[in-house]
Amino acid sequence: MSNFWTTFSHTVVKRIKSRSFAISTAIMAVLIIGIFNIPTLIDTFSGDDSEDAGGDRIIYVLDETEFNGALAEELEQINPIYENRSGDTIETLQEIEEESSTYILQLSGSAASAEAVLSGEDPGMALTSQVQEEVEAAKMSTAAGQLGLSDQEVNELAAPVTFSTEITAEAGAEPEEAFSSSYWMVYGLVFAIYLIVITFGSMIATEVATEKSSRVMELIVSSISPVTQMFGKLLGIGAAGALNLLILVAAVAVGAFMSGEEVFNFIFTEVIEVSLILYALLFIFLGYFVYGGMAAMVGALVSRAEEVNQAIQPLIFLAMIAFFLSIVALNAPELTVFRVLSYIPFFTPQLLFLRIGMGTVPVWEIWVIISILIVSAVLINLLAARVYKGGVLMYGKFSFKNGIKQALRLSKKEA
Amino acid sequence: MTLELENLHKKFGEHTAVKGINLSVKEGQMFGMLGSNGAGKTTTFRMILGLLDPTSGSAAWNGARIDYSRTHLIGYLPEERGLYPKLTVKDQLIYLMKLNKMKKPDIIVELRKWLERFQIESYENKKVEELSKGNQQKIQFMAAVLHKPELLILDEPFSGLDPVNSDMLKKAVLDLQKQGTTIVFSSHQMRNVEELCDDLIMLKHGEALLQGNLKDIKRSYGMKSVKIKADFDLQFLENIPGVLDLHNSKVETDIKVESEEIAEVIFREAAEKGFLRKFEVEEPSLHDIFIDQAGGESNE
Repeated sequence: MSNFWTTFSHTVVKRIKSRSFAISTAIMAVLIIGIFNIPTLIDTFSGDDSEDAGGDRIIYVLDETEFNGALAEELEQINPIYENRSGDTIETLQEIEEESSTYILQLSGSAASAEAVLSGEDPGMALTSQVQEEVEAAKMSTAAGQLGLSDQEVNELAAPVTFSTEITAEAGAEPEEAFSSSYWMVYGLVFAIYLIVITFGSMIATEVATEKSSRVMELIVSSISPVTQMFGKLLGIGAAGALNLLILVAAVAVGAFMSGEEVFNFIFTEVIEVSLILYALLFIFLGYFVYGGMAAMVGALVSRAEEVNQAIQPLIFLAMIAFFLSIVALNAPELTVFRVLSYIPFFTPQLLFLRIGMGTVPVWEIWVIISILIVSAVLINLLAARVYKGGVLMYGKFSFKNGIKQALRLSKKEA
Repeated sequence: MTLELENLHKKFGEHTAVKGINLSVKEGQMFGMLGSNGAGKTTTFRMILGLLDPTSGSAAWNGARIDYSRTHLIGYLPEERGLYPKLTVKDQLIYLMKLNKMKKPDIIVELRKWLERFQIESYENKKVEELSKGNQQKIQFMAAVLHKPELLILDEPFSGLDPVNSDMLKKAVLDLQKQGTTIVFSSHQMRNVEELCDDLIMLKHGEALLQGNLKDIKRSYGMKSVKIKADFDLQFLENIPGVLDLHNSKVETDIKVESEEIAEVIFREAAEKGFLRKFEVEEPSLHDIFIDQAGGESNE
């Protein structure tokens, strides 16, 4: 057991200390934080005038509508950045605009068909949408004033309808799980499972193959059992991966926090469902064992690190198939074909998770399939350990079928 | 504390790599395993270490098969050298020795001792890939002996070393033997075996050709080596029946003969021709025996 921990900690420390780990984690974290702050970033980089929507930016309003300047006055009241210049001609304003990089808001038409044109140096997304909202609000209240409506009547007119969808679940399924509320979360997590399985699968295979090709393997397995070594490695890389994941989750939190309280609250109250996260973790864990065991086996069968990429292709295809099936299944999770496919251990982590997320699977079935997955993971790892034991001392040209046969023979007495 | 191999067999499919080897190595003994490439040395070592299961027969250390509960008592230098190229000498040995149940402070003490002995103290924090091949081999050797194993298995320990380093390693091996380590090593450099071994086995295609005490083998081996110095051409001696090989060097003529009787015939024939400055009958060198037995497959 002590050798297991030695290998485990050696693997973890080696991975964490590696430059590629630090760099890739940092890049991912920065990317995630960046994605959350795209709107702010775009504003920051789009032109020198638009530091913040509002402020002391001047927008000259030329009101040529049937409201006779009332709309421009209303805008002035809504936000001091507007200045009513309805007395001037468009030419005069254009001259000022060119010199002082302000904006011109030209309003025309009637209450039924009002038009607004915002001109000037690139105003940016935030300012454009802000102006649009404010023009609409001003038009609404000016038109209401002309019609002689009271404030309360205006509010009643403008009050939005709260809209939501509710889908009745299939008979026998969890009724409280509504279809679309978890769609994006499921989508994201299915993708995460796929990425994790692929990334860590190749990592394991490469690590094993590198040890084998540098021939240090023979020295290692003369001190500890290949099976102990394999699981030390498998869990070590998994633990390093979990740390990586944790950092990325922290990056999500930081990114969401930086982009404002609203996004933060939205993500942590609306998007995230704790039970789904727990299921996702369970499937990541089990999926890691299924694919990781296979990957360790592949790594033990090749002789040189360069052969890993080729040798691991079938495994990656399998994960890709599972991913694409899930993308299709996201839109029709109740189909029998997906139900059947979710029993296949290689597809279970993604497909069953998706079915749970989309609320189309009864509890008893979840546990039956998870049990199948656990049993398969154990069997796959037992086989992998056998192949690993024989394979680590076997050198030659890589062939999956012959390799496994030969490795099994080597690990057996009657060789 | 003995190593016993009993009728050890290993088959890979149709191919038999090791055919019925029997041997016994006593505590503190230095045992040589000779054979050309593919003779079954490495396979035998792997069976001793428990890395491969014998097809039949047994390999036992101290009366039982070596398993992972006892591997920390064994030191192994594999023929195919291999270390972690990206790890420093220190990190490397700490990891490898922890696997052999050593504690970190002890590892560092031993590590420094050996680095000093091999005169490479400054490499402690260097990555292995930055070291020369000879120095990598010293580190590899340290990985086999740092934990003071009871049984040390060295597969071709001297291959690829220059004479200075080769001697340094040889001294280290002899010191370990003095401290009571049982050592089994393979080589196809016969000089090393002659210098180091008490007992040996010579393998060809997985079978033992010769086996026993080095001196006994040499003494009882029929073939003799005759060295003659004369002022005339000795090439005619080649035609005497029983002469296996005649080789003229700048200094003298070296003749391999089947037995001592043939040496007598040669002496008479040569002396008849003229004055002999030197006539000497020697026991064959291990090299000669090896070539004679393995059929010219020596790598020396």
